[in-house]
Amino acid sequence: MGTIFFELALTLYFAGFLLSLAGIIRKKQDLDKAVLILSLSGFVLHSIYLLLRYIKAGQAPIFSMHEANSFFAWSILLISFFIYFTNKVKIINFNIILSFSFMFVSAFFPRNIPVLKAELKNFWIDIHALMAVFGIALFSLAFIFSILYLIQERAVKAKKFGGLESIIPSLEILDKLNYRLIFWGFPIYSIALIVGLVKYLSLLGFLWDPKEIWSFLTWIVYLSIFYLRVKGDWRKKKAAYLTIFAFLLMIVGFFGINLLTESFHKPL
Amino acid sequence: MSLIVVGVNHKTAPVEIRERLAFNSKESIREGLKYLINKLGVNEALIFSTCNRVEIYVYTSISCNIESVPENGRALEELIKNFLSDFHKIDQREFEKYLYIHKDRQAVEHLFKVASSLDSMIIGEPQITGQVKEAYEIALSEKTTSLILNYLMNRALFTAKRVRKETRIGENPVSVSYAAVGLIKKVFDDLSKKSVLLVGAGEMAELAIRHLIGSGIKEIYVTNRTLQRAEELASLFNGKATAFEKLKENLIKTDIVICSTGAPHYVIDEKMLKEVMFLRKYKPIFLIDISVPRNIDPACDNLDNVYLYNIDDLQDVVDSNILERRKEADKALEIVYEETDKFFQWLESLNSVPVIVSLRNKAEHIRQEELEKFKGKFKDLSPDILNSIDYLTQSIINKIMHEPTVALKNNCDMKETLILAARRLFGLDNEEE
Repeated sequence: MGTIFFELALTLYFAGFLLSLAGIIRKKQDLDKAVLILSLSGFVLHSIYLLLRYIKAGQAPIFSMHEANSFFAWSILLISFFIYFTNKVKIINFNIILSFSFMFVSAFFPRNIPVLKAELKNFWIDIHALMAVFGIALFSLAFIFSILYLIQERAVKAKKFGGLESIIPSLEILDKLNYRLIFWGFPIYSIALIVGLVKYLSLLGFLWDPKEIWSFLTWIVYLSIFYLRVKGDWRKKKAAYLTIFAFLLMIVGFFGINLLTESFHKPL
Repeated sequence: MSLIVVGVNHKTAPVEIRERLAFNSKESIREGLKYLINKLGVNEALIFSTCNRVEIYVYTSISCNIESVPENGRALEELIKNFLSDFHKIDQREFEKYLYIHKDRQAVEHLFKVASSLDSMIIGEPQITGQVKEAYEIALSEKTTSLILNYLMNRALFTAKRVRKETRIGENPVSVSYAAVGLIKKVFDDLSKKSVLLVGAGEMAELAIRHLIGSGIKEIYVTNRTLQRAEELASLFNGKATAFEKLKENLIKTDIVICSTGAPHYVIDEKMLKEVMFLRKYKPIFLIDISVPRNIDPACDNLDNVYLYNIDDLQDVVDSNILERRKEADKALEIVYEETDKFFQWLESLNSVPVIVSLRNKAEHIRQEELEKFKGKFKDLSPDILNSIDYLTQSIINKIMHEPTVALKNNCDMKETLILAARRLFGLDNEEE
């Protein structure tokens, strides 16, 4: 059932991951082309895998632990390629590390197609789940770029060089990407939540699910970032700190909920 | 073989000597090359002359090996010394003690180091490779290089390319004005959309502006206590002159500020910049203060999105970059040694004995093969006839091989060319693989 595509994609990501790690440790960008080619070809195979799975299951490949992690890895790369080809910013080497990590995690979970409750087999539920994960992928890249921003800003301010900052793009472009990721991420995440809320209410009734509550809290934090950024009050360093905070809040919450509670949102 | 380099550089000789030994024009290099080839009778020659070094590379096949015939080696360096003294009309005793002389392996290593900018005053500066190439082109156009020096120069340029690619030797700028541009690029992405304000005038400021223009910046403002001076400067870089009284307004709309006035006090202080930052909505601003005494209050650096570098900060960056380059130079040396080995492997293949042996082996191999085929076809031939055929084929081969063998053994000028030709014509290199 196309698992071979997953394995191949994983292998290519792994190769890309090793090369980008080598580049980052050596603080050189000479391997970037190879990293790009490896991750791009992995991405194509990965896309085929996801598509085959979608067709076979008749539901979005996103409901099991395996699927959610792999789709998240895929989303990160999709966004990275988009950024790379539209802005010519060399950031694939940082993103492939994140992407591979989730792909690797995904490989450890059973690959069977999860059985959903009948009432959840719904086009809107698919949309809800896909958009939520995609939105989080956008946020997580904003998080990465915020960290890179702080590393670069620290180096320029402290006037100390020779570290990682030599392969990090300029502050201006990092801030711009940061802004755009939130700018796109927030509406997508919002729609995901709204679709989810409306559908669950109509299908299952309100459940007071911990993940729902946490998502709503995170949403409020991102709403404030979105507002502050669009209005232009919080920029640059402050925005970077805020983005990092929001992302950590979200991730910690979701991991905690997955591990500790019996949320029905828990991946299967 | 005897390859030799005789030269002076910035480390061994003072500028007074270097300038007297220098070949200042292409024309004088051409003349020098002609002198070396025609008057001294060396086989191949190349002259490399820059403001930091003058080097004469000579290859001659007269002696087989400098080590084994020391007189020849010594003679060769004496010849080159005479040439320098004669050509530049300078007494040999004046410059002799500043010379360095490298032979064979050392000469190859030396050239590779020079081409890779490991021997430069500023390690890793990229111009030298281009200069080596230029010197080689002059020699090529004068046809004073041939097999050995052509290959040597190509390997030198290849080594330089490898060093640049595989080490970080040329990565960090080591001049203050370049370093400034590098720092600005860490903050701003597309300089063509940024503007720069030059406050005051100074040589280094001018240099920095020129580098910024090279990086794409278009909008340039110049301000000075006297407007006339500002206008003069502005016209130099196609910029606009603005009144000094409007400094604050200008700070609000520019992204990069280069300050170098002669003022004994701060021209931009923290209070002023704080207001400016508020008015420019905290858009990042990069300030470079190259004036001594400083013209921008160092406290400005505490403000968010303000990046302030003074001349000492820039110098520190440059110093640490130089240190970084020295470290990289060790890696580069490994590459130089590796490439030197490769060069000598190639040289080895130019030795005549193995060529003759493999040539003869090949002929013998073909003969045996054809004999077997023949014997297979005509099974009822008597041993007498077979012996005569064996003898016949052997003597044909010996006759054919005689002339090439003599030619290859002969220590003439074209020896290396002949060896290469023989390898190519008889496909000897493929055989060995």
